[in-house]
Parts: sequence; structure tokens; C-alpha cells
Amino acid sequence: MKRQIPMMIVLILGLLFVAHVFIPSKLSADYLDWFMKWTKVIGPFAIVLGVFSLVLVHYNKIKRKAPNWGYSIVTLAALVITTAVGFIWGIQEGTPYMWIFKNFNVPLGATMFSLLAFYIASAAYKAFRARSIEATVLLVAAIIVMLGRVSIGQAITHWIPDITEWILNVPNLAAKRGIALGVGLGMTATSLKIMLGIERSYLGGKD
Amino acid sequence: MKFSESMQKLDRRYIYIVLAIAVILPLVFPIGFKTYSTTPVEDLYRHIDAIAGRDDMAIIMDFTHDPGVMPELYPMDLAILRHCFERNIKVFTISFLPQGAAIIQLALSEVKEDYPDIEANIDYCNFGFKPWGLKLPIMLGMGDDIAKAVETNSEGLKLENLPIMQDIKNYDNIQVVVEISGSSMGQFWVTYARAKFGVDVAVGLTAVMAADVYPLLQTGQFIGSLGGLKGAAEYEQLVDIFAMNGQEFSKKKARNMKWVEQAYKNIPEKARLYKYNKARIGMDAQAIVHVLIILFIILGNIGYFLEQREQKKKYMK
Repeated sequence: MKRQIPMMIVLILGLLFVAHVFIPSKLSADYLDWFMKWTKVIGPFAIVLGVFSLVLVHYNKIKRKAPNWGYSIVTLAALVITTAVGFIWGIQEGTPYMWIFKNFNVPLGATMFSLLAFYIASAAYKAFRARSIEATVLLVAAIIVMLGRVSIGQAITHWIPDITEWILNVPNLAAKRGIALGVGLGMTATSLKIMLGIERSYLGGKD
Repeated sequence: MKFSESMQKLDRRYIYIVLAIAVILPLVFPIGFKTYSTTPVEDLYRHIDAIAGRDDMAIIMDFTHDPGVMPELYPMDLAILRHCFERNIKVFTISFLPQGAAIIQLALSEVKEDYPDIEANIDYCNFGFKPWGLKLPIMLGMGDDIAKAVETNSEGLKLENLPIMQDIKNYDNIQVVVEISGSSMGQFWVTYARAKFGVDVAVGLTAVMAADVYPLLQTGQFIGSLGGLKGAAEYEQLVDIFAMNGQEFSKKKARNMKWVEQAYKNIPEKARLYKYNKARIGMDAQAIVHVLIILFIILGNIGYFLEQREQKKKYMK
């Protein structure tokens, strides 16, 4: 029963959604309305669950003095302080919450993302090698697109941005569409497998 | 150690130093490279501009992005908001990420400084943060009734009582949803809002994501896109040369660099503020870094082929 009831729920709701999409009617619209209300109630619980899980994981790390447990203190302190200042002074511009956001969150986030440029530069020098014809084609395409996406490309010749657009609009588009079709078919097949109870990993563990 | 070998084993810290200099110098001393506009950016600008001055139409800006991608996406946020405020276009802002809600606050307050007549809940309305789990009911619900689906704005006020909502009911009154994110969030809007209700969708993305949207641009599922800092720089320029000059958009003019240079001379002082030129200044650094990376690729390959040749010689002996 522990497995059958969730599987029944998945099958019934799955069929109802397929019906909702393909059979437009008042009943179908009412069903969506009913579903929306339920989702609005259930959705925010995910946040409570997320916070609870975060606190539990880091509390245990601190308790066990696991490797790098000091970072867990920082995480929990950030969670408590940000939440507290948000509740006390609000989250509008000019509040301590926005001060934390501007002076911690923004520079830290930007720092993490900007590291990417250094890794790409290092990889460009150390790893991008014309070892085969395919790799050479990739390298040439990358060089053209990199030049075509900045004004230097246009300054050299208008052909560079034109070729860049062609690369993005023809070979890139064809490859992306092929991948998207494959992913779409895969998702449909997986959804059917879940609805029919063939794929059960979402139920977790064993009986 | 031979030259080819030393090239191959170059300490990556030297690469990092050269790159850091290449990024910092153009930011401190802007070069002023020209910005050439492209079709996906022009299409979005024209689409938004088409509802200038109308009370019964608005755009939705979804800021589902975090501070990590702000250097690329924040100039887009500012440029689109500035376009809307300058041309009297109603705008709704929303985010399904908590950090996105703070970015909305930041962007609105920065642009509002220069538009004191623009009022919250009359000219724009910030829906604020809505939990990720509610994105589906909100996206679908707005097709019937925006006020019912979103319920309250960021200040907790009921949407149905706000003046901005007087002539705006559902997606029929939305010209375009602009999703600004470093993820494939835009495709959710296509799947749920466009497929079911026909609302137009456009995206602002990080450069690494930009290539992904071409299939959707070709089919018209995205009516426009801003790809990375370049897309932001192009939009900044279009706002300057058209909206700030009180001019209607013209593709021919946008691509005539002599006309663009002339238009720049007439823009008001507030358009010259650093915050409205961030993307174009950033593009100077990006242009230099692109050339540098190309040089790294070429140098790395020269070292590789020299080493290969030496190994071959050794083997022949």
C-alpha cells in the first residue's frame, strides 16, 4: 500500500492533466482552478522544508565537528541574521537587509561567477588543442564567434559578425533543436513510464 | 627546459595576472568601442516601445536571477526599466528567487532617482518575490486574472485595488514577458504562458546561455533576446539614441553608425550617468579579453605543435 497509493495518485493526476490540456471544457478549467488553490497552499511548505533541512544538516556538521564545520556556523549565522533583519526592519531599499544584500551577497556572488573567466582563459591556453579535424573546426568556430560578439570583429570586417550570426543561426540552431527534440521525446517517455508505474525511483528506497 | 616545453608548462598564475590586467584597465580607462545592434535586441526594443503611453497595456519583467550573474544581467534590468519609465510604459516586476526580489528593489530605486514623476502602483508595480513552487499557478493564473493569480504586491497591497490594474486584466493586456535570468526559466513562460494564452515572451540571458535560445527565436516563441553583456550594451544604446531623444525606433537609423554618433550628441545629461553605461564600458573589457583568449588559444597550439614536432624528431632518431 505504501507504494500503490502514491502510484495511484500519480496516475490519476497525470491522466487528469493530459485531459486538461487536450480537452478544453468548463470542467477542465474548474479542475485547473482547484489545482491552483492546492498548489498555492502546498508550495510555500517547500520553503519551510528547505530551511528545516538546511538547519538540520549544518547543525549535525557542527555537532560532529565534521571537516570544515566552521563554514556551517557561517551559513547558519547568515540564515539567522538575514531572516531576523528582514523580519524586524523589512526588505525595502535602505533597510539593513538591503545593506547585507548589497555588501555581501552581490560581491560574493559576482566573485564566484567571475572566476569563470579565469578558468576559461587558463583552459584556452592549456586544453583547447587542434588535435583532430573536429577539434580544429570547433576552435575556428569559437574564434570567429568570440570575435563576432565584440566590436573588434566588426572593425576588422563585417564578414566576421555575419559569419558569427550564420554559425549561431544554422549549425548551432540545428544541433540545439536536435538535442531539444531528443530531450522532449525522452521527457515524454519518462513521464509515461512514471504514470504507468514502470519508473518508480521517485518513491525512494525499498518497501 | 626547451621553449616548447616551457610554453606547455607555463604557470597558470601568469595567465590569471594577464587576464586581470586585461579586465581592469579597460574598466578604469574606457576605450569606447562602438556598439552594433542586432536583430533580436532591436525586435525586443521595438516590441516594448510599441505600447508607449498606453494605459491598457504593460510588460512583465521577471527577475529570476541571483547576484552572481548581476554584472551581465543588471545592466539589462536598468536599461529596460529606463526605457519603460522614459516612454511611459507600464511595467510589472516579479521574481521567483528571493535574491531576485532584492535586485528588483535595487534596480527600481536606481532608475527612479532620475524619474521623480514615476509612481509605484500607478506607473509600475512590483509583485516582489513569489515562491518557486508557485510559478506554475501564477503563470497559468495570470492568463485569466493577474490580480487574482498574484494577489498582492511587494508591500502586501491587494492588486485589485491598485490604480495600475484598472485597465489591466490578464495576458491580453501584456505586450511581452521579459524573463531576465541565467537559466532556462524563459522556456517555462513559453511552455505555460505562451502556449496556452499566446502572450509574447522575450529573454535576457548570460552570454553562456545565449546560443540556447536560437531555435526559439527562429520559431517566434521568443520575440527577442538580449545575449549577455553585449545584448545589454545594445539595449542601452537603443534607449539612449531613441527613447532619450524622444525618437521612434528605426532599424535603418540604429544601424547607421554616423546617425548613432550624431544621436549621442543630443542625449540628456542623465543618460550619460555611469549606471546607464555599465554594459558598454564592460564591453570594452570583454572585447580585450576575447582577443586575449584567442591569443592564448593560438599560443597554446603553437606550443603544442612545436612539442609534437620535437617528439617526432626524437622518435625518428
